Amino acid sequence: MSIGGSDLDKAIAQLRACRPIPENQVRELCYKARELLIEEGNVVGVNAPVTICGDIHGQFHDLMELFRVGGDVPDTNYLFMGDFVDRGFYSLESFLLLLCLKVRYPDRLTLIRGNHESRQITTVYGFYDECLRKYGSANVWRYCCDVFDYLALGALVTGASTSLTPTDGPLSDTLNADTLPDPDAELEIETLSSTGEIMYRYARNSSPQASSQPTSNPPSSPNASTTPSRVGAAGTGATSSANGSTHNEGGAVLCVHGGLSPLIDKIDKIRLLDRKQEVPHEGAMCDLLWSDPDEIDGWGLSPRGAGFLFGADIVKHFNHQNDLSLIARAHQLVMEGFKEMFDNTIVTVWSAPNYCYRCGNVAAILELDEDGSNEGYVRRSNGDAGRLKAPLVQKRLEGPGRRYRVFEAAPQDSRGMPAKKPVADYFL
Amino acid sequence: MASTSTAPRTLKVLDRNAPHEFVVPVKRINDARTDLPFFLASKAYSDIVTFIFQLNAAMFPRKGRKADDGREEIKEWDLSNPDVPFPKVIQRLAGMIERLRQMIEEAPPDPGPRRFGNISFRKWHDMVTERLPEILKGFIDQDVLSIGAEGPVRAEVELMAYLTGSFGSPQRLDYGTGHELNFLAFLGCLWKLGAFPDGEDGSIERAIVLGVIEPYLELVRRLILTYSLEPAGSHGVWGLDDHSFLPYIFGSAQYSPAISSPDQIPLEGSLPNAPAPGEVVKANTVERERRRNMYFGGIGFIYDVKKGPFWEHSPTLYDISGVKAGWAKINRGMLKMYHGEVLSRFPVVQHFPMGSLFVWERDPEAAEVTSTIHISSQPPRAQVPTAVSQPQRQPQLRNRLNETVSTPTSKSTLAYPTQGPNVPSGPNQPTRAPWARGGDAAQPPLHHPGPGQDRLRGPLSQTPDNGRMAAGPPSGRS
Repeated sequence: MSIGGSDLDKAIAQLRACRPIPENQVRELCYKARELLIEEGNVVGVNAPVTICGDIHGQFHDLMELFRVGGDVPDTNYLFMGDFVDRGFYSLESFLLLLCLKVRYPDRLTLIRGNHESRQITTVYGFYDECLRKYGSANVWRYCCDVFDYLALGALVTGASTSLTPTDGPLSDTLNADTLPDPDAELEIETLSSTGEIMYRYARNSSPQASSQPTSNPPSSPNASTTPSRVGAAGTGATSSANGSTHNEGGAVLCVHGGLSPLIDKIDKIRLLDRKQEVPHEGAMCDLLWSDPDEIDGWGLSPRGAGFLFGADIVKHFNHQNDLSLIARAHQLVMEGFKEMFDNTIVTVWSAPNYCYRCGNVAAILELDEDGSNEGYVRRSNGDAGRLKAPLVQKRLEGPGRRYRVFEAAPQDSRGMPAKKPVADYFL
Repeated sequence: MASTSTAPRTLKVLDRNAPHEFVVPVKRINDARTDLPFFLASKAYSDIVTFIFQLNAAMFPRKGRKADDGREEIKEWDLSNPDVPFPKVIQRLAGMIERLRQMIEEAPPDPGPRRFGNISFRKWHDMVTERLPEILKGFIDQDVLSIGAEGPVRAEVELMAYLTGSFGSPQRLDYGTGHELNFLAFLGCLWKLGAFPDGEDGSIERAIVLGVIEPYLELVRRLILTYSLEPAGSHGVWGLDDHSFLPYIFGSAQYSPAISSPDQIPLEGSLPNAPAPGEVVKANTVERERRRNMYFGGIGFIYDVKKGPFWEHSPTLYDISGVKAGWAKINRGMLKMYHGEVLSRFPVVQHFPMGSLFVWERDPEAAEVTSTIHISSQPPRAQVPTAVSQPQRQPQLRNRLNETVSTPTSKSTLAYPTQGPNVPSGPNQPTRAPWARGGDAAQPPLHHPGPGQDRLRGPLSQTPDNGRMAAGPPSGRS
C-alpha cells in the first residue's frame, strides 16, 4: 500500500489516538520520510516564527499537551531538537506521529537528530524493546533507525524578531505587577503558563537591578549598522551588500540537540559532514548530539563518555564567529523546563514534563516571533569586516525575543488499562 | 555456626581455626567480554547466588503443627510477624541502619539550585564513610570485626568495602541494584564470618531479611526521597524498578505456597490467602499489603514516586502481574531475572569488589557450565546491531536454580550478558555513551569509589549540580 494523501491523514488520525499503525504502513512512511529528509541539508534553514522544542522521550500524552499549548500542526511551525524516543512508553507512537506530520507538512515541521536517534542507544534505552513488544519483531525498529540516519544535525533560525509582541493574557497570581516592564519597552523575554497566564516579563536593556536577571555584560545594542562587507545567511560566509533596518536586527539562532564540538568553528563545517550514518562514537557529528554546556573555561571531558563539556567562552566565541545571537539546545533535564546560560547566549529547552513519571519537572517550548518590521524582508545577520581582529570583548548581536510556554504533564485520567502482554522468558 | 556441612545450600562459614588471609577488596570486572564471563563462573558469583537462594527459601511460608491440638497450620512471614524472633545480632544491625537513618537529619537537603539530585547526599555519605569504623564497632561484635587481626588485613576491611558501597553513589547522586548487591554481600560476609547464630529451618535467614534487609530498603527509600537520588542503570519504563530488585524476590516468596523444608520449593502456585498478582494495580490492596509484604513494599514505593497509570510507567511489573501460575512462578522468574538483569550486567556489577570472602577465582563446580557459554553466538551489544532478530535475552540461571527446585542437573546454559558492556545510567541522569569504556583512564580520582556505573567526570564536576547554570529568568513554577 502507499501512504499518501488520505491514507496519510488516516495514519495521522490513528497515531493521534495513540494507536500504532500497521508495520507495512510504517515501512512506507519511513521510506517517504527518508526521501524527504535526504533533500535537507545537515543544517536546515528555518524562518521565524517557529516554536522550538526539546526532548520528548516517548511521552506521547505530553506531546499532545505540547501541541495543545503551542498550537497544532500545521498552524504552528515547529522545530524539534531530537530525542523523540527511548525511556517513555510511547516512543513509537510519538516518533511515528512526528514523522507523519513531517511527511504531510514538510515545511511546517523540522526534526533534527538527538543522541537517542541511534541504533546503539535505542537498544539500550528502551525503543528497541518497545518495538518488539508492540510488533513482535524488530522490523519497525529497523525502519525507524534507517530514518534516524537521515535526520538533520541542526537548524538555523533566521528572521526572528528581537522584540516580542506582548501576549494578551491574564497575569499569573504569582506575578508581582510591579516587576513588569514599562509597556512601551522592547520585550525580550516572556514566560507563559500552559493556560496562557503571564508568569514573567523582561524588557531588553532593563537595568540589572530592576530585574531578577543578573547580567554581567553591558546591555547589547544594535551594533551591526556599520556598513558590512559580508552579509549572508548566518554562518554561511556568503556575501551580500544588503543592509536593513537597524532596529529589529538580531543574529541567527542555531538549534542543535547537544551542543558544540571542538572540531567545528564555523557552521559551514557542519554542512560538510557526511551525516547519513549511525551516530559515530566520536568526532564532530557525535559532539553535536552529545555535548553539554558547563561552568568551565574552554573544553572539558563529558561525564557522558561522549561529546564534550564547553564553557561560556566557547559559546561566546562561536556565536560571534557565526553571527549567532543564541544557541538553542536540549539534551539535559532542567526542572524549570528551560534554562538560559552564559549571559543568555545559550538556552536548554526541555519538553518532557515529569520526566519518566517521577522527576517532577515542568516542560517548556520556546517561541520566536517573526520580525515583521521589514514587511517580510529578513535582515540576515552579518559579519563585520575586521571583526576578527577585535578583542573578544565584542559587542553581541541582539538575541531574539523569547517566549517560553511552560507546561506540566498531561492529565492521566482518560487512559484505559490495556491487556497484559506475555511476560518475558524469565516468567515462562 | 549457622552453616554446617550437612546444609549444602547455605553459605559456608569460615573455619576460624584454619588460617585465612583477608585482603582489601578490589575491582576485578574491567572487561565485559572476558571478566564478566569469568565472574559468572567465579566463587564470588556462586556465593552470591547461594546466599540469595538461602534467604529466598527461608521466606517461603512453612507448614507446621499447632502446639496444642497438633493440627496443621501455615506460618507466613509477613513484615510484622512476631513469630520471627530477632536475635541480638539482628537487632544490632537494625540499630546500625537506624543510626544511619538518623544521620540524614544532620545532612538536610540543600535548598540551593540543582539539576536534580541533591548535593547534600554527599555530605551524608561522607559522614557515613568517616564514621563507619566507629559505627561498625558499635553494632557488630568485636570478635567478628577483628578476625584476621594477626594478619595485615582484618575482616572489618572487607565488611567495610561492601557496606560503603551499599548506599548509592555520592559522585553521581544515584542508587541502583549494584548498591543493593553490595549490601547483600555485606550480609554474606557477616554470614561467612560466623556473625549469625545457628537457626532452625531458615529462622536466622528470615530474621536477616525481615530484620535487616527490609530496614535497609526503608533507609534507601528515605535516601532516594530526601536527596532525589537518581535511578542508576534504569531504562525508563523498560526496567523492572528504578532502584531495587530484592524486594520482588523475597516478597514473591512470602506469597508462595507453604513448604515443609527448603527442598520442596514449588514451581507454581500461591499461598491461599495471598492477593492475586494482578492486584498490584489496585491502590487499596497496595496500601494494605505493603505493610506486610516486600513485593508490595516495592510496588508501594513506585506509587509514592511515580505519577501516571501503573501499566504505563511500570509495564514489566504490569505484565508480570498477569502471570497465571501464581507467586511461586513469579518468584522463580525473579530469580532468573536477577541473574539476567543484575548479575550479568556489566554496568551493574563492574564495581563489585572482590576480596577473600567473595573470591575472584573460578568455581570448579562451574567449569562445565561455563563451557557452554554462548559467547560466540551472542551478538555483543557493543557492536551496532544492524539486524537484530530476537530480543537478546536468554535468561537462564546457572544450574543453581535447578538445584533449588530439586532437579539437579549438570547441563545448563549460562546466558551471556545480553546488553554487552554498556548499559548506561538512569533516566534523569544524562544518557551515557554505551561505548565509553570503563573510563577510568580519563576519570579523575574518585573520592567515593563505589559500585554502579562509571561515568567520566570533567573539570569542576565534583559539584555538577550546584549552580551550574547562570541564573536565567525565573520561570515555570514560581
